[in-house]
Amino acid sequence: MSETKALITPPGADKVLARKRPAAPARSARQRVGRVLLYVMLIAAAIAMLIPFFWMVMSSLKDANSVFSVPIRWLPDVFVWQNYVEIWQESGLLTWIKNTLILSVGVTLLQVTTGSFAAYGFSRIRFPGRDALFLLYIATIAVPWQSYMIPQFIMLSNAGLANTLWSILLLQAFGAFGVFLMKQFYETVPEELSEAARLDGLSEYGIWARIMLPLSVPAIASLSLLTFVNTWNDFLGPLIYLRDPSLWTMQLGLNNFVSSLYDVNFGVLFAGLVISVVPIAIVFLLGQRYFVEGIATSGLKG
Amino acid sequence: MTTTAERSASSAAAPPPRRRSRLRLRNTLLGWSFILPNFIGFVLLTLIPVVTVFYMSLTNWNIFGSSQFLGLDNFIKLAGDKSFHTAFLNTLYFAVMHIPLTIVVSLGLAMLLNSKLRGVAFFRTAAFFPYITSIVAIALVWNLLFSPQYGPVNQVLGFLGIQSPPGWLTSSDWAMPAVVVVETWRRMGYYMVLFLAGLQTVPRELHEAARTDGANVVQRFFNVTLPALRPTMFFVTVMLTIESLKVLDLIIVLTDGGPGQSTTVIAQFIWTKGFEENQFGYASAASVVLFALCLVVTIIQFAWNKRRED
Amino acid sequence: MKRTTLAIAGVAVAALALTGCSGSGGTASGGDADTLTVSGWSLSSTPEFQLLADGFEAQHDGVTVKLVEYDPTDYNTLVTADLAAGKGPDVITQKEVKYLPTFQEGGQLLDVSDVKLPDGISGTDSYTVDGTVYATPYRQDSWVLYYNKDLFEQAGVDQPDGSWTWDDYVAAADALKAGFEDAGVDATPIYQHGWQSTVQGFAAAQTDSSVLDGDYGYLTEYYERVLELQSNGDQVPFNTVTANKLTYQGEFGKQSAALMPMGSWFTATLVAQQASGEADDFEWGIAPIPQADASTTGTDATPVTFGDPTGFGVNANVSDEKADLAKDFLEYAASEDAAKALAGIGITPALLTDAVTKAYFDVEGTPQDELSEFAFSTHDTYPENPTSPDTAAIQNILNDLHSAVLSGSQDIDSAIADAEDRVANEIG
Repeated sequence: MSETKALITPPGADKVLARKRPAAPARSARQRVGRVLLYVMLIAAAIAMLIPFFWMVMSSLKDANSVFSVPIRWLPDVFVWQNYVEIWQESGLLTWIKNTLILSVGVTLLQVTTGSFAAYGFSRIRFPGRDALFLLYIATIAVPWQSYMIPQFIMLSNAGLANTLWSILLLQAFGAFGVFLMKQFYETVPEELSEAARLDGLSEYGIWARIMLPLSVPAIASLSLLTFVNTWNDFLGPLIYLRDPSLWTMQLGLNNFVSSLYDVNFGVLFAGLVISVVPIAIVFLLGQRYFVEGIATSGLKG
Repeated sequence: MTTTAERSASSAAAPPPRRRSRLRLRNTLLGWSFILPNFIGFVLLTLIPVVTVFYMSLTNWNIFGSSQFLGLDNFIKLAGDKSFHTAFLNTLYFAVMHIPLTIVVSLGLAMLLNSKLRGVAFFRTAAFFPYITSIVAIALVWNLLFSPQYGPVNQVLGFLGIQSPPGWLTSSDWAMPAVVVVETWRRMGYYMVLFLAGLQTVPRELHEAARTDGANVVQRFFNVTLPALRPTMFFVTVMLTIESLKVLDLIIVLTDGGPGQSTTVIAQFIWTKGFEENQFGYASAASVVLFALCLVVTIIQFAWNKRRED
Repeated sequence: MKRTTLAIAGVAVAALALTGCSGSGGTASGGDADTLTVSGWSLSSTPEFQLLADGFEAQHDGVTVKLVEYDPTDYNTLVTADLAAGKGPDVITQKEVKYLPTFQEGGQLLDVSDVKLPDGISGTDSYTVDGTVYATPYRQDSWVLYYNKDLFEQAGVDQPDGSWTWDDYVAAADALKAGFEDAGVDATPIYQHGWQSTVQGFAAAQTDSSVLDGDYGYLTEYYERVLELQSNGDQVPFNTVTANKLTYQGEFGKQSAALMPMGSWFTATLVAQQASGEADDFEWGIAPIPQADASTTGTDATPVTFGDPTGFGVNANVSDEKADLAKDFLEYAASEDAAKALAGIGITPALLTDAVTKAYFDVEGTPQDELSEFAFSTHDTYPENPTSPDTAAIQNILNDLHSAVLSGSQDIDSAIADAEDRVANEIG
């Protein structure tokens, strides 16, 4: 193990390195102006990103008939907190959140574990037919879901899985996305590391678990986050499979709660959507540092 | 595929043939043992239904079981279907604008937000917000921004001296560029996340070395960052291409394919033919064409990537 | 590679075997002979299903009606999926007529020609294919003109009296606009929703044309009128309607418009929204939709309008015993008893008798004038969607025409020519 360890710089080491760098010379006036300009730009961009969300929050405080209007109104005339009260008291919000959470966490776990495991097979072990198999994985992404959604539904329905949370869990968990993402990331890990580990007597499984996984924290973090968000916000999948109100997810329950034949109560809808976006935003805010938490790989290039 | 277990295990001295075939068997078993847990789920849940699409495309399947084998009739009909031509060209038009724009914007964003700026967590989260904001809210606010008479976009253009600014989403010529802008804006946070992860694999030492050699920012970007980012770039390009060619949900809420057919794309054609007009066989044939289009582009990308790799 | 090809072939066979065996019969309710499953949507805000279920249970001892709830916007997709998997409901509610041929051609609907229907019920033609009846109507909405009496008074313009042609409608809109300006009222004379039916439905019905003809010259006059109303400010432009995602409930309910052509289902919504405060408190009425010429105007004539029925079909896979029970349900839903009950919650039943009309206007909050009663009960309603396997595809082509013309990106003549080309090219 000694050799392997020496090749991997532990997390946080780059901070130590950074500290050891000679202190930056005092910033020139030009640099300072540049910095201010950068912030002005970033803040302007952030506003551009957040405007629709802002409008959504404001609309969640309007009554049904005031949400859409000419000209558009950014702030409600009267703040209608009732929308939130209504969702909280009259809908199955807690059930929906519970189901959505089960699915999002379950799918993310399955996708990350099976995906990163399979990716190792695809990126580090050479065997006949491997590349063709991989292309097959990618190729299935290219078939639009709506074209095979009914055959898939018939199959899962015959297997007794329709109208259970299992259907969505299984449906989302084995996609090619995670395999592809992790494979690409593994390819940036220098082979010398695995070599050294092999000399140390680690099996391929060991290399995957003790070298590859720890080294791919940013990839795992982004895969987890994107999978989580996609499952959380998925509408069509739960719509087709989950009929029983006790199984509804956030998006599905909300849509059912606010709409009738010719009519959607947009005020309540946006209140629900605000409630559903907040957890994701928090997960992102807390998790985003892992995207950039790389472990320096000691300058080895495979 | 820099180095592999096989190459490393056998490169020192070429083993005798029997040992080589045993090694091959061992590697095959080993490889499959990694892939299998995902593969079982993949075959049962994705591959089997996908294969049925190919069969359906050769029939006039009506979804309730009965179907008639038609051979290539659906494809011949597609070749002469003007609406499909329109959808096909619109899809290409969208993809050709959307893919490069999104790569440039999201990579730029990732590089900007990969630094140790104050408040970087906030800016990263803000960049991701378009992806998680309700698509209805996005459609409304962008429609407003693009409004021909009162929208800020055209007010700025008017201020810049442009006499008759376009009607954007209400004009058949400008609706697609407008859709591209909104979709890029919506997706850039998503791809930024992937690029952020990819940027962590760029060895810092290389940057340092290049800096000492006197390379400027642009040179360092092209000679250090981009080559090291190649696996991620490949991933993003392939995914982005496929997703662009399959684009649907944003267009539905933003323009619903209009005005006229100016923003109708293949995915919408498939949905309409299948679920609104009950021609599932015909819709499947359109899916197969879309699939073939994606596959051709993907294989080109694979080959390109391989060549760059070796 | 060879092995991969073989593997794929194997998978294909397995796939076909798996999906192939789905056609096997069966329904959601299974073998329980006394339980009838009926599909519906948005049960909490659409009380008609529970009402019919309760009424039927009251007449049949020991029978339970179980409502199966589906999403309202994707109702047809979901019912299709369930039927394809052999898990459909016993009674299949026909939400939109244009999808009936899908179910019928797919062999999912039982022949219900032997269900006895009351005389004078409308909408039955929509469910008849080659002389065989596949569903029966219980509800028949038709398009009328809603108007805001308060806004008319404020503008000092005469209210609709049932004698309007489209020219009178345009004249009234002009007068309203001038009146609003003088009185300082912030409203537009007309709100017309973005749907294609708001133009094409009237055009087809009042020129005695059918979307199946493949000849769409009859649309010209109707589009020209709307384009002019849009450009002179009598009506909210189509681009604004779609861009701002305006809702008709909001535009009429918040008094942004004085006139609104709309389906009769809006009565129930408006009454409920005025009671809850979501809509403003104002006096309103229902008038017959303006006519193409004077021959069908006035309260002694029958105005021509359009609308599609809503009905019930029976799942072809139910047992014989269950089929009889299901047919009883269809008969009940079409009966006068059911019609009165439906009218009592603001629904427009397919059967309109004097008693039904009385029940409709007994609802608190409905307008009490004679013209409203006339508009509700007297009309010659042509189907918007003729029953044909081509209807859905043709309506999609005409919808493209609609957005191209009203957005201003194509002139009416070339848009009609394009649509005619496409119908000739793509249909059949």
